[in-house]
Amino acid sequence: MAAAARGLVERGLLLFSALASFFVLLLVLPLVALYAGVKPGVLGAMLSSPEMREEILGGFRVALLASLIAVGILLALGVPTAYVLARYDFPGKRVVEGVIDIPLALPHVVAGVMLLEAYGSWGLAGPLLRRVGLVIEDHLAGVVAVMAFVSAPLLVDTVKVGFQSIPESLSAVARTLGASRLRAFRDIELPLAARSIAAGSLLAWARGLSEVGALLVVAYYPKTVNILILEYLSIYGLPYAVTLAAVYATLTLGIFAALRVVTRS
Amino acid sequence: MIEVEDLVVRLPGFTLEVPHLEVGEGEYLVVLGPSGVGKTLLLHAIAGLVAPARGRIVIGRRDVTREPPERRGVALVPQDYALFPHMSVLDNIAYGLRVRGIPRWEAYGRARAYAEALGIAHLLHRRPGSLSGGEKQRVALARALAVEPRILLLDEPLASLDPQARARGRGLLREIHESRGVTVVHVSHNIVDAATLATRVAYMNGGRLECTCTTRGFLESPYAEPYLEELRPLAGLLGGR
Repeated sequence: MAAAARGLVERGLLLFSALASFFVLLLVLPLVALYAGVKPGVLGAMLSSPEMREEILGGFRVALLASLIAVGILLALGVPTAYVLARYDFPGKRVVEGVIDIPLALPHVVAGVMLLEAYGSWGLAGPLLRRVGLVIEDHLAGVVAVMAFVSAPLLVDTVKVGFQSIPESLSAVARTLGASRLRAFRDIELPLAARSIAAGSLLAWARGLSEVGALLVVAYYPKTVNILILEYLSIYGLPYAVTLAAVYATLTLGIFAALRVVTRS
Repeated sequence: MIEVEDLVVRLPGFTLEVPHLEVGEGEYLVVLGPSGVGKTLLLHAIAGLVAPARGRIVIGRRDVTREPPERRGVALVPQDYALFPHMSVLDNIAYGLRVRGIPRWEAYGRARAYAEALGIAHLLHRRPGSLSGGEKQRVALARALAVEPRILLLDEPLASLDPQARARGRGLLREIHESRGVTVVHVSHNIVDAATLATRVAYMNGGRLECTCTTRGFLESPYAEPYLEELRPLAGLLGGR
């Protein structure tokens, strides 16, 4: 009886393993196909054209700079928000959590339209932003705003779970030992949440880099690599889009892998 | 040493009421009662970790009701010991001293002295995750004692130990109390803790402090009845101190 049951469990595991292998294959295949689709001649043509080279380098610069600024803004605002949500109960907390997750539920183009209506020159907060010299349409600030908006839930939710996993008794003890609330946060909770903060930042950064839908609405210029890939697809055809996409994938996956190694160690 | 007057702490779905509680200097008070009656909440209120809705807490003639935990002169040892997992045992013990601005070399020196006194000097460079329950308890006590608190608040410090370690832990607590003269409030649901350690016993039920009396007085009171079975094998110890 026990042997039969064990056999059933093993068959079940085998089925799960087969499904998992198939799933991983489905995920890996597009990446393999991307690199397989690169034509060396096209890459050579892209690199030998000074205008195209300059345009591509500019696209990388904008994407990396804007995504890093967006993560910086999210760290400054998102970590305290995540802490408050993890540690305190207050009226309307569920509503606040829902509001933070809104960008996850929205189509990207809709997110772009919303940002334009809120922070665009003629949007609700537009006049105020103009007064301090901030314009989002077709400016780097717009790229940053889009990236920060769409990736905010990833950072806040990941960091919130990180803070929730730290027993409150640790900071309680630190406080009775003489630490102020801020000191206990700095010495105990922040170091223990560091891994979650790093993971949240990575996710937010990757999400920011991958954004294109909202950028098309808010800030087509300065062009990020994503916009360029779309442009090359429509102007020069698939081989150019594939080549640029492969270069972009190599760069982002390389940084992503390196950061994962660093944060794990 | 501690005076709690007309204290009410309200949490969602629970209210703690302590009409009056006094703990004299150097006393060892064991707070007994079933699970979920507010014993830990009482400790947290004394430590300043929860704000009372009403009432007054006086420590050493100073009204500390609105004072933050760091200004109350108490040290807490929670049930899970709450050792800081990212720090070595040495850094754990020295933490309270470092927070007070004591230079690292002096803080480490004092932490080493406490570690030796509690028999954990060989663990100083280990991380808490690799310690046994009894070792964790000693580290938590050393860390609490290192700041020389006027009051030691112990929340079920023996609950997670096996019977042998628990007996050793009781011996250690008794020794600490006798040698250092620190005032102790020890929350427990174990009558043996009261019988062997307490100079006085408080009994809580349903979120309310029902009585405080001497250990012998408590053992002879109707409140001790549910515990009598547990005490029979320890008849020789009855009366505590």
